[in-house]
Amino acid sequence: MCDTVVSLSKVSKRFRLGATHDSLRDLLAGGIRRIFGAPSEQNGQSVFWALRDLDFAVRRGEALGIIGPNGAGKSTVLRLLAGILRPDGGEVVVKGRTAALIEVGAGFHGDLTGRENVFLNGAILGMTREEIRRKLDDIVSFAGLERFLDMPVKRYSSGMYARLGFSIAAHVDPDVLLVDEVLSVGDAVFRLRCLERMRELVGKGTTLIFVTHDMDQMRSICGRALVLEGGSVSYGGPAREAIEYYLGAMSRAYVHRPPDLIEGDQRQGDGIEVINLRFVNGGGDEAVWVRSQEQVRAELTFRVRRPIPRLIVELNMRASLSENLLSINSGRDDLVFDGTVGEHTVSLVFPRLPLSGGQYFWNVRMWDADSGAAEVDTPFRFPMVIDDEGRKTGALCLEHEWSVRRQPSLTAASAPAQPAELTYVGEEGQRESMPLR
Amino acid sequence: MVRALGISGSLTELLRYRSLLVSLTWRDIRVRYKQSVLGVGWAVLLPLSMMLVFTFVFTRAIDASSVLNVRMPYALYAYIGIVPWTFFAVSLSGCVNSLVANRNLVTKVYFPREVFPLSCIASSFADFAIAMTVLVGLVAYFHLSGKWAFTPHWTLVFIPVLVTVQIALTIGIGMLLAMANLFYRDVRQVFSVLIQLWMFVSAVVVPVPQDGSLLARVIAINPLVPLIGAYRDCVIYGRWPQVGPMLYATIVAVVLLIGGWVCFRRASFKFAESI
Repeated sequence: MCDTVVSLSKVSKRFRLGATHDSLRDLLAGGIRRIFGAPSEQNGQSVFWALRDLDFAVRRGEALGIIGPNGAGKSTVLRLLAGILRPDGGEVVVKGRTAALIEVGAGFHGDLTGRENVFLNGAILGMTREEIRRKLDDIVSFAGLERFLDMPVKRYSSGMYARLGFSIAAHVDPDVLLVDEVLSVGDAVFRLRCLERMRELVGKGTTLIFVTHDMDQMRSICGRALVLEGGSVSYGGPAREAIEYYLGAMSRAYVHRPPDLIEGDQRQGDGIEVINLRFVNGGGDEAVWVRSQEQVRAELTFRVRRPIPRLIVELNMRASLSENLLSINSGRDDLVFDGTVGEHTVSLVFPRLPLSGGQYFWNVRMWDADSGAAEVDTPFRFPMVIDDEGRKTGALCLEHEWSVRRQPSLTAASAPAQPAELTYVGEEGQRESMPLR
Repeated sequence: MVRALGISGSLTELLRYRSLLVSLTWRDIRVRYKQSVLGVGWAVLLPLSMMLVFTFVFTRAIDASSVLNVRMPYALYAYIGIVPWTFFAVSLSGCVNSLVANRNLVTKVYFPREVFPLSCIASSFADFAIAMTVLVGLVAYFHLSGKWAFTPHWTLVFIPVLVTVQIALTIGIGMLLAMANLFYRDVRQVFSVLIQLWMFVSAVVVPVPQDGSLLARVIAINPLVPLIGAYRDCVIYGRWPQVGPMLYATIVAVVLLIGGWVCFRRASFKFAESI
């Protein structure tokens, strides 16, 4: 069963920039201009190529991830596959029933009850009434909305809304399932259940095409991934490598952009300019991708424009955009730097980084220890990815050791009298932590 | 998947999505009467109250008896005009907005886009059917009141044919309007004015002039004149519709149906990016 289910060959899609002819007045004006020989607005300048000569194929039962920055064309690909858009060049072939989850609950009507919306949305996704009736219980229990089934969805919370929407799509049993960044809604438990369901569908032979910015989700489901950049595939291969490539490219793009172009730069004084924060692994190679439990060195490069004799540097790290996981401040370590005019590189070594796999973001803050005036406070824009080879250890990956102690059995008289202790002992006779990999 | 452009491909696809058509129609009906005290009662009350308004205007407020030589109670005349007209006008105003109002679905989900105008027409058809049954009561009332006698005729069996022709006409125009409004939002505004004018040249509440004048000849282009006239012929007058005008209305309906559908189909792949 290795037949190709989805294939794109030389697919291009362009969009017009700006709204040409949104009202009849524009059409008339355009027509008059054309009659009088004025150049038309519709020349090559006003066209944007969302996709250029895209080629890829997906086999039955394969899960393909698509990653890329905003505007790379990911959603356009899905909408072409769903048949919502038609390519301007090339050919799109999709075999079998397609269910697209491009927006959760698209087509829900607030005045209708949950039950009515299940029927409506199921029909929108191509199910028959009979089929929906059969699956109604599964859909509702998957969404966990048994109690709210006869309530109009306008009174649903956004999470309930999203859960019902995903649940319907997940029960279509399509040949091809297209999922576009919809799992960011709903709570963590529901997200996990969605991933589980997607994995189950793939196991049953559904072809999955999955667009997400969550690299963990991508890695846990997709075997293969494409990196889209500017409307074409810049990398295609095993998901792990594609993610590594993408995050590497992303961090380089950050570095190469002049600082004032970086969105949301919180404070950039004129005294100091952060050039880069990069991460170097034990082997001395620059690595966005760092192995858990290995040495990593953070190297901060900045330029000082006006001397700051007592400079404090702080590095903060977050796993999401919520709160700091780590905050390391040179001032608290009784260390100030002499900020003479010129370029400096400050390094910070973590001998064994006790983090589990995932994506982390760093920011840099610097201030004058004497005046207390902040010089730099960057956004969390420096990425670092930890690879723990898929071992799920929670948020942290702490060194640990096990021991087992068997209590003497009271009933078994033949058992040895002394308690047996079992400890893992290293070669030098020291106790050694369990090997972590 | 190769998506056929022709009507046959379109019909096969529609057949596959028939449950969607049912669901969307049902949604329109449910939503229309949700949170209203009278609910479906409005399907009856609206044409009845329109009938009362026009009856008041043409028999009490102004003296129009010279124009209204209709050989039946004026209220009945008005009602038989208003009900099919309302079906036509409400369907079309639904169609005009159908794609734009469902923008979310047009840009996020694929299914044959014909479903939108078709479901608008289907949900107005439900109102039409209810209002038509009220006609029975109305006829009985005037018959029993003794002012006017109703005699049933075989011509009543022709009504389904009239309804079919009217639906074909509505689908054709509705698809063109839905499509045009998606590209140019002006269409809706122009439509809301024209539909008012159209009512008064369709013999809905007043007969159209038939004196051979220029105005009369222009009005004769309107396929709704023979269509609405035919409803009265079949129900009240007990005569078969005139062959010529009826044939004309049918041909116009079929041409618009095919033309509108093909245009809609051809343009439908542009909808998501142009909306």
